[in-house]
Order: sequence, then C-alpha cells, then structure tokens
Amino acid sequence: MKKNKLTLKDMSTASGQLVELKQEEFMKLPNPYDTPEAQPPLKSLSDEVREKFECDLDGFMAIKIIRPKSREEEERLVNKFLDGLRKLLSKENNWTFFMPLMLSLEYCAKCQTCSDACPIYVSSGKNEVYRPTFRSEALRSIVDKYIRKKGSLYLKMTGNEIELNWKMVARLAELAYRCTLCRRCAQTCPIGVDNGLITHELRKLFSQELGIAPEEIHAKGSVQHLQKGSSTGMIKQAFADTLEFLEDDIEEKIGRRITMPIDKKGAEILLIHNAGEYLSWPENPSAFAIIFDAAGVDYTLSSEIVGYDAVNYGLWYDDFQLARVALKHAQIAKDLGVKKIVVGECGHAHKAISVIADRILIGDLNIPRESCIPILEDIVVNEKIKLDPRKNNFPVTLHDPCNMVRLMGIVEPQRRILRKIAPRFREMEPHGVENYCCGGGSGFAIMPSLNFPDWRSGVSARMKFKQILDAFQDVIDPSIKKMVCAPCSNCKGAIRDLLAYYNAWEKTGIAYTGLVEFIVNAMVDVKEPYIEWPEF
Amino acid sequence: MTWLPYLSYISVLVLVVGIFAKVIKYLRMPIHLRWELYPIPHEKKDGSYFEEVDWWKKPRKKHYLNQIIFMAQEILFIRALYHHNRKMWYASFPFHFGLYLVIGWLALLVGGALLKIFWVASGLAETLLAVAVVVGVTGMILGIIGCVGLLIIRATSSDLHGYTAPVDYFNILFIFAVLGSGIIAWVSADPRFSIVQEYIRRLITFSAATTTSKTIAWHIALFSLFLIYLPFTHMTHFFMKYFMWDKVRFEDEPNFRGSDMEGKIAKALTYTQNWSAPHIQTGKKWSETASKGVE
Repeated sequence: MKKNKLTLKDMSTASGQLVELKQEEFMKLPNPYDTPEAQPPLKSLSDEVREKFECDLDGFMAIKIIRPKSREEEERLVNKFLDGLRKLLSKENNWTFFMPLMLSLEYCAKCQTCSDACPIYVSSGKNEVYRPTFRSEALRSIVDKYIRKKGSLYLKMTGNEIELNWKMVARLAELAYRCTLCRRCAQTCPIGVDNGLITHELRKLFSQELGIAPEEIHAKGSVQHLQKGSSTGMIKQAFADTLEFLEDDIEEKIGRRITMPIDKKGAEILLIHNAGEYLSWPENPSAFAIIFDAAGVDYTLSSEIVGYDAVNYGLWYDDFQLARVALKHAQIAKDLGVKKIVVGECGHAHKAISVIADRILIGDLNIPRESCIPILEDIVVNEKIKLDPRKNNFPVTLHDPCNMVRLMGIVEPQRRILRKIAPRFREMEPHGVENYCCGGGSGFAIMPSLNFPDWRSGVSARMKFKQILDAFQDVIDPSIKKMVCAPCSNCKGAIRDLLAYYNAWEKTGIAYTGLVEFIVNAMVDVKEPYIEWPEF
Repeated sequence: MTWLPYLSYISVLVLVVGIFAKVIKYLRMPIHLRWELYPIPHEKKDGSYFEEVDWWKKPRKKHYLNQIIFMAQEILFIRALYHHNRKMWYASFPFHFGLYLVIGWLALLVGGALLKIFWVASGLAETLLAVAVVVGVTGMILGIIGCVGLLIIRATSSDLHGYTAPVDYFNILFIFAVLGSGIIAWVSADPRFSIVQEYIRRLITFSAATTTSKTIAWHIALFSLFLIYLPFTHMTHFFMKYFMWDKVRFEDEPNFRGSDMEGKIAKALTYTQNWSAPHIQTGKKWSETASKGVE
C-alpha cells in the first residue's frame, strides 16, 4: 500500500492495493450524518475474490478482470493495450472522437483547476488516485513513451518516464470506472481539456480492443439489449405482459382503463422508455400513459426487440454498441412511420440518441428525436390537463441529470413544470448546468456486484447526498415527508440505493420519484394520490 | 552580429509554418461525434434548442455576439480560472495579459515601421512608438510578475507540484528571460524602442538589420528562439482554443438530411476499422460493423 503521496509511477511499481480509502478523510456530510457513527462502513473484498481478480487499485471492483496466470499472458495483454491505444489515435479507427481526444491529450496545462470540480475527488477527501488529471496524465505518459516513442530527454523534461506493465494496465482499466463522465471538470477548464472524454476513450480502448468492460454494461447490458430486446433481459412477450399489467394497475389507481398503444403505424410519436422503469418503477410509464391520454397525444410504444428499451449503454464504453442500438431505434421508428422519437425519463438515452447518434444516423434513418420534457412542459404550462398544485404540497427538490442538463442543455422546462405544480419546490445548490452527478452516472447505477455499490454510495454519490440533505435542512425532521424529483431512470436507481444505504427515509423522511409522477399526482381527474411514499 | 537577422527570419518562418501545420492538421481531421458542453453562449442562457418541442422545425437563433463576448472574457481575462481557481488566476492573469500587451507592442512597432516605410515622416508613426513604450513596458512587467507568481505557485502548491514537469518550469523561465531581457534593453539601451523598431524596419525591407547594443541583441535573440520553440509546445493553446471551444465544446450543429454534414458523416462511416475485441467484426467498414450487430 502506498503511504506517501501517490505519483504516476506508482501505478506500475507499487505492489498490492495502490490506495486505501479512509472514511474519516471523506467529505463531511450535513446533519444528521455529521458523525462518524452515521456513516455505514465500506465492505471489503474477500480474500478469494482478491486472489482471483485484479483489484489492486483502491480495494473496490467495477470490472472483473481475472488475474493473468503467467508473465507471457501479462505481456500479451499489455501489447494488446498498446495496439488499442494506436487505434484510439488513428482517425480511421476512432473518427468518432479523434479530434476531441487529440486536443485533450495535447493541450493540458496541468493547472489542476478541474480537480475541485470533481465530486468523486472532493468526496473522497481529495484522494490523489481520483484526481481528474491522474488517469489522463498516465495515458499521456504512455502515449509519449510507447506510441510516439519520444526520446529520454523529452520524457525526462515532460515527466513522462513511467513504465507500462500489466499492473498499470489493470489499474487503468479499473480507474476508468472511477469517473461518472459527468464532465463537470471539463466545464471549468480554461483551455477546454476534457478529462471525462479521456476516461470515455480509455473505456473504449478496453472494450473495443481487449473486450474488457463491466459485465452489467456489456454482456448483460448492450449485448443482451441487442440480442434479447432489453438490457433488463425482458423479452418481447414479457413486454406485452407487462403493459397489460400496467393497464390493470392504472385502472385500479385512477378508476378507468387506459390502453397503451403498441406498434401503431403512422403515430406522431414513438415513445421509448428505459425498460428498467417497467420493472422497478412501473408507475413512471403508467404516468406517461395517463398524461398522454388526457392530453390527447398521438403516440405509440414499440414491441420490437430493442424498441421497448431506450437505454444505450454503448454511450459509456463502446462506439459500436452505441451505434448498433441507435440504428435499431431509428430503424424501428422508420418502420412505424412515426414523425419523431421521444425519449422518456432516461438521461443517457436522451443524450445517446439525440446528441451522440446525431452524427451516425443518416438518410431516412435520420428521424427527428426529442426529449419528453418539452412535451410535458407544453402539457402542464399550457394547461392541456387540469392540475391542482395543492396536491403536491410537500417539500420537493430537483436533481438535474447530467446527460439531460449539462450535456444537452435541457435546463428550464422541468423547472417550469415543478414551479407550476409543486408549491414547495426548492433548488439544490449548485443546480442546472453546474449540477452534481447522482453518483450513478456512466453505468455505475446498474453495477451492483461485489462491493462497488458501497463505493458508489459512499464516494461517488456522496456529493449528491450532501446536496439533497442541504436542500432539506430546514425540514430535515423525518416526520416531514419530502421528495427528490429525479427525471432519469439511472439517477433514480442511484438515488434509491443512496437513500437506502444511509437509511435516509427513516432518518430524514426523504424519498424520490420521477417527474411525471408529480404531474399525475396533481391531476384533478386522478382522485387518489398517485405518489406512493415508502412505509416506515 | 550578422547572424541576428537570419535568426529573426528563421523564427518568423518557423512560427508561421508551425502554426499553419497545426491548424491544417486539425482542419483535416474527420468529422467527430457531438460532444458539446453547456452552457453554450450562442444558445439561450444555459439552455439549448432541445428545450423546445419540434426544435428542428424552428429557425435556429445563434447569438454570435454572446459567444464573442464570452470568448473575449475567456481569452483576455482568463474567466474560467477567475471563477474556479482564483489562486492561480492571480498569477495567470498578469502573465497572459502581459503577453497580450507584448503582442500588441510588437504590432505597434511593426505598424510604425510600415508607416515609416510607406509614409515617410509620419507623425503617426511617432505616436505609435510612444504608445508602444507604454504598452510594451506594462506588458513586460505584468508578464514578469506573472512568471514569478506561476513559478512560486507551481513549486509550492501541493496540488500542482507533483504535476509540474521540468519543461513547465523551463517554459516559464524562458518567457521570464524574454521579458526580462526586454526590460533590460529598454532601461539600458532603447528607452523609446526606436532601435528595435529600426531593426524591424530593416527586417521588413530586407536591409542589413543589425544592432550594436548587446542587450538589445540578447533580447531579440531570446525572443526569436522563443518563437521557434513555441509551435512545438502546448502553449499553442492560445490559438488551438478555436478547435477546443468552437469545434468541440460549443459545437451543437444538428445533422439534417441532405446537408454537407451528412456527406461528411457518410464518408467517415466508410472508414475501415480493425478493432479486435470479439464483439467487433474487425476489418470491416465502420458502417457495416455498426449495422451488423453482435454475433
């Protein structure tokens, strides 16, 4: 274990676990979590797991990389890493991000302005290994020495004299999953360097060349999505059954049956939800159905495989998986003859299909895509349905999903909705484009294996928890029920786990839900409360 | 010192070719996927066109003036550093602003020299020279203060020390030497910068440019060497910001059917990729790999 201040060279030379996290050094949390006893302990990996898998970074594990059995295997993997790096730096193999990557690799002034913008670095008590520039500098050093083959004087002058070995590669792979790609760091850079992008590209290198990625994102994520129809594993028949169940549930809740349109040719809108909603928060797609039905929106869902799941995990780690899912979504929309694709409350799906895939979809696959938020704003603000804000008379704060806000610029419509229907709405600080990630970004929310969830709730989501607590400090008594509005499935998942990890409902009375649930809860025609609070 | 003008000519040539080569290198790069980051100053405050229903049917309003103002604040006053790293800004702002003034000083000297070449006995040239003294000396002093501040911060800050390489100290010291030699030349040999301007005039007219002052010669030599060195360093971020901000961070141009952009994307999709992970069919065109799916 490294005792003194960590340096880049330690990535390849230090033996065993590189750093150990100490909870007493973590950023302090507000009341009622301002004592050491209020912090749940972080779980350690078992000796068996440590023996089998590479976990020599910080004692947590996002990717299960089996330890190589021989020196030859290590060398083969290191060489493969270098092959991948060469491809990352070639325009044919990596046209998708070639220019942004080259710029970010070549122009960092090492001023460290980005560090304090990173919630993971700050929350960890400024642990060096999580500094946004740490992994970027490691990659720059490898590029200079092993790809550009700079001379020894140059390497000495630039401080890029590190050794590349398997330890370094394995630690870099794990370190690529200690950043949520929220890109808050890039927002503060006076030059425009983007450490989030470098992390993204590092993830791509591991996936596209070495086939290394967290199984929840790849094998059980995008591969399952493309092969079975959904990253949740939901097959076509199960989707149809789920909708039937939702229709029954809606009838029970609001006293009338609503049919959710499926595969309706020529509809105005193809609405795609994150399929995780159907399983974990069925009240969310149900709320969309109730609102769209009441407002007379002409839409359809798709029962085609991939078409009923908006997620696109490739956004986080693999350009080809990203393109495959985006092309499938567009093809389904084209076959249905819809005028546009609208994405439900899922931040990364918003960005994947609206922003990133914008330069993959060409010709008749370039079907207009938009967020659900402006349509909801139009319905609420222009009073296309009858709403009574008094039905939401409890403290509410809004979480801004990074993909929707900082990375897409959808900032105000969700606020205008809440101001209209939630009289006790208050902002977190900072908010809008300067928000903090939920801690579950870039796939972390769906990575529940081993002790990674502890790291997520203890470190990467810590800043969000602090923000939520700060927003409700005046009503922190658990007898006052209050709600976090998180209009994104992955953010909701991260916040759900975060609140459970800190036992927050019991201790503070804080719960969470999506945006559409607030709208339905305020609908005059819906007599019973739509929002369901957890039970004590 | 007959070598001095040759060094000056070489420095200008290397600088121009170096900058040109870098710009061309980036201009020739293929189109990339969008990777914008908000706020984007040519959009509405903090938000984007994605906030509107049917955004693609509406005329795009790009507030270019806002973007120019934003970038002017960023370049002239190092806005991001002011907001997010105030300690560094106290050194970085005088450093950069000093350098901008030195560039202005050089422009005034060149301008004055051109007036003298093409407009004999011009009073305007003398005025420019007088302004150049104020601008140049202020710039050099600010730059020197900035250099000293940056050296201290980099050497003493626990955040920066571990990430500051020898070349970073060398770069600051090099600029310190260029600016310091300028101040020495001004104080000891050329209080009106008329000798330096005459040197520039002779360079422009390909006359025998030289100077008898060793301090001025040292300053010109160091300045020339710095211009030769500059294109090979990350200090070229002063113009590469165009790509980093305009072509990546603020680049939110949508792709419409039949547009030039669509043509560029179609071309990029024909690139052959050879990634070798099992889920990628190596050796195929990018578009084929993407449309084929996982096997």
